[in-house]
Amino acid sequence: MSAVRPTDAVLPGDVPSARADSRLVYWLAACVATTLLLTGASLLIGTSSVETSFGWLLTPDAQSALILWHIRLPRTVGAWAAGALLGLAGAVAQGVFRNPLAEPYLLGTASGAALGVTLSLLGMDASIGALAWTAKLGVTGAACIGACAAIALTILLSRGVLQTANLLLAGIVVAFLLSAVTSLLLLTRPDVWRSMQSFLLGSTGFLSWSGAALLGVVLCVCIVPAILLSRGLDALSLGEDTAQSLGLSLPMLRLTLLGVLSLATAAAVGQVGIVGFVGLVAPHLVRETITVNHRQLLIGAPLCGGALLQGADLVSRWIIHPAELPVGAVTAVVGGIYLVALLWRRSRHE
Amino acid sequence: MSESTFPRTADSPALCTEGLALGYGSRTVIRDITLDIRAGAWTAIVGPNGSGKSTLLRALAGLTPPRAGRIFLRGRPLSHWSRRERARQLAWLAQDSGATNLTAVEVVGLGRFAHSGWLSSRKTEDDAAMRRAMQATGSLPWASRRVSTLSGGERQRVMLARVLAVEAAVLLLDEPTTHLDPPHQEDIARILRDQAHGCGVCVVSAIHDLSLALTADRLIVLGATGLIGHGTVREALAGDWLSTAFRTRVDIVELAGVYLWRPTLRAADAVAAELP
Amino acid sequence: MRGRVLALTIGIQRRRQGCIAALLLLGAAAALAFTAQASPASGAPGPDLQFPQPPQRLITLLPSITETVCALGACDRLVATDRYSDWPAAVRALPKAGGLDDAEIELIVSLKPDLVILSRSQRITDRLGGLGIASLSLETDRYGDIEHNIDVLGRILGVPGRATRLNAAIAAQVRAIGETARAVRVGAGPRVYFEVDRTPYAAGPTSFIGELLTRVGARNIVTADLGPFPKLNPEYVVRYPPDVIFVSAADATTLAERPGWDQLRAVKEQRYCSFPAEVNDTLVRPGPRVAAGMQAIADCLRRVAP
Repeated sequence: MSAVRPTDAVLPGDVPSARADSRLVYWLAACVATTLLLTGASLLIGTSSVETSFGWLLTPDAQSALILWHIRLPRTVGAWAAGALLGLAGAVAQGVFRNPLAEPYLLGTASGAALGVTLSLLGMDASIGALAWTAKLGVTGAACIGACAAIALTILLSRGVLQTANLLLAGIVVAFLLSAVTSLLLLTRPDVWRSMQSFLLGSTGFLSWSGAALLGVVLCVCIVPAILLSRGLDALSLGEDTAQSLGLSLPMLRLTLLGVLSLATAAAVGQVGIVGFVGLVAPHLVRETITVNHRQLLIGAPLCGGALLQGADLVSRWIIHPAELPVGAVTAVVGGIYLVALLWRRSRHE
Repeated sequence: MSESTFPRTADSPALCTEGLALGYGSRTVIRDITLDIRAGAWTAIVGPNGSGKSTLLRALAGLTPPRAGRIFLRGRPLSHWSRRERARQLAWLAQDSGATNLTAVEVVGLGRFAHSGWLSSRKTEDDAAMRRAMQATGSLPWASRRVSTLSGGERQRVMLARVLAVEAAVLLLDEPTTHLDPPHQEDIARILRDQAHGCGVCVVSAIHDLSLALTADRLIVLGATGLIGHGTVREALAGDWLSTAFRTRVDIVELAGVYLWRPTLRAADAVAAELP
Repeated sequence: MRGRVLALTIGIQRRRQGCIAALLLLGAAAALAFTAQASPASGAPGPDLQFPQPPQRLITLLPSITETVCALGACDRLVATDRYSDWPAAVRALPKAGGLDDAEIELIVSLKPDLVILSRSQRITDRLGGLGIASLSLETDRYGDIEHNIDVLGRILGVPGRATRLNAAIAAQVRAIGETARAVRVGAGPRVYFEVDRTPYAAGPTSFIGELLTRVGARNIVTADLGPFPKLNPEYVVRYPPDVIFVSAADATTLAERPGWDQLRAVKEQRYCSFPAEVNDTLVRPGPRVAAGMQAIADCLRRVAP
């Protein structure tokens, strides 16, 4: 190697190795514990408030077994997976755009998914051929395709992924454009409006095992490249020039991470509709309670997001049981309160 | 590692440019620069604001493609180096670093990115390089602290440690002494000289503090009209390059073997008469 | 010391500012609510709705009201309806004055009506009053509103006798359907779940549809305390399985995909009642065709219930 540098001697106070931060471990354990607790509570809460006898849980009759294992359990597991995807997408968005207010829908995914669902609902009555197509895709597929199409349109409009400012602007434009088209379409058929509302406010009501499994698979597919690229996000946080000079390929990093973002958001939106605030609040919570590097953030944010959405699903089912609130409304209230508390705390520090 | 063939003498150029022209948008900032930058020496780029110091440095780092002309890194055109290889040869320190939540040791660890890659599996040589870098900059005491909790001087030293951890053949530093008080400025200057003289690294920095720049070995003087001259400090003083660059508003005086600048403080109308 | 006093003063100032801001907000909200309340929505016609002679030029802005006016034989007096009125066929040719929330004021004014009849939830009453056009707001949500509206309109339109006869006829038909259903029934009535929308929104017993179901002798799995159109937890239907499911034809194909629903007897045996759009209209428009709607429900139940 190069010539002997001036001070090669081993001095006391060695460079600390990458020990797992104990606070992070506690935090992860807390997330896991909360998730398990919420899953258990989910099994007990539903149309008839809290089942007070555990015997019901251990030796259920046929109908209760059906409700427990085929309705409540997949619903809570699916809600966790959707929340994890949204938390991951939010953390990725905040890293790629280096903006703590970034969230999964900033590339127009929400509006694209809404348009897809509208077209699907309208198409059901349009013609037999359209009905066949829409039945095959389902609302889920339509939402997914709509979300992906919106992102493709955004990238096209911003002419590549090189300029983040262009991307953000294009995302805003696409969001407005597509939601305007959706509104116009809905004007012609106001009876579809109520179904659209349920999508726009988020709904975990029909999460089945197949839906939960799909979300789980997408989560695994998305989290692996995200964590592998997390060091690149760390480098990016030092500045774009610095990251480039370290040998990072910015276009590759952005393209891959935007792909992860798109897939994660589209899958989540397809299954549970448009649920806001989870993607924004989960990474925030992780960063506010324990400051982390991106690899730890990309592990912590999904866990936090999963627990959040699980909790919101539980609240939406319990508050006015046996009716239920849209889960997006619950996350909006909780998210809003969190942000207000954050603002309050910040202004008090000044 | 190709460093075994790294020329050690102070005469061989590590970086050289040929007919370089740089600009933004429709503006051409620098025209037709041909120069060579030696290894084992600390070269400072000086000039008034807007003369293109940062632009030149960014072009040398390969961050902005030149309008015209070519840049050679160790004899090969810059564009012929792969991104990874180039990252191992060139280390760049930006003027302002982004806000980051990382700890000091994580930031320094990023300097090994070009060597260790995406997975931060730290081999012993990475650890050794990081240790050396942090020792050289004296930033070991706050290795586990978050960079955002450090003062400006401490943060700058951590960033410099990151640059040193790359163990590159060429260091390109954009205003490494901003936000630093004089003792820390002296620290930085000392580290840069050690790197250049002791380790044979080619150090190039854009510095706007003239006195500090005059402690370097060689100068590249830029002015409003372009490159005014490049060579040793003595050649610069003999050729009155600095006066030309700064439009006779600075005077260089020698004091106990050290060069200092002082403003000439001419009358305001004389200055106004010279402005374009 | 001074610093502390200063900080305290700033703190108090900030708190005062916060209080003032909160009070202003509250005041603004109260003002808005007050103005919203202040719009007069009259159910019973007020003293200013005395006509020297029965109004001859009518505009109706709700399909059920259109149907009632025509059932009272005053169809020829209509000069415009809303865009959703389509029964009887004669009204389809009339100019359309907008929908439920976007009535076209200009068209209404240009037609110079004597009376505009609309539902209480429509908000253009003030505008019409301001433009000097008489308007009548009616409640149109429940079964009981049908008889009441027929009476009111009969009096205003000058055909009280026809109104009484119409009410009697409707009552008789409804009674007959109910009796037939009771006679045919075995044991308690069938349990039904009426899905209004795939979210799922259900029709509770306090909604108009729910009242029809009750009169036909069906038992709604949704209880009255949940309101007229609750957004149900899908688990509820599995918990209290219905014998018959009322659902749109398009949604019927997706019921088996809902988790847990494929085990429902009603889904396995496909005991669905789906109505075409014209029949559906009679179920959502509390008007003179209520008996037809009830008949459709009763027929389907007889066909499909176990």
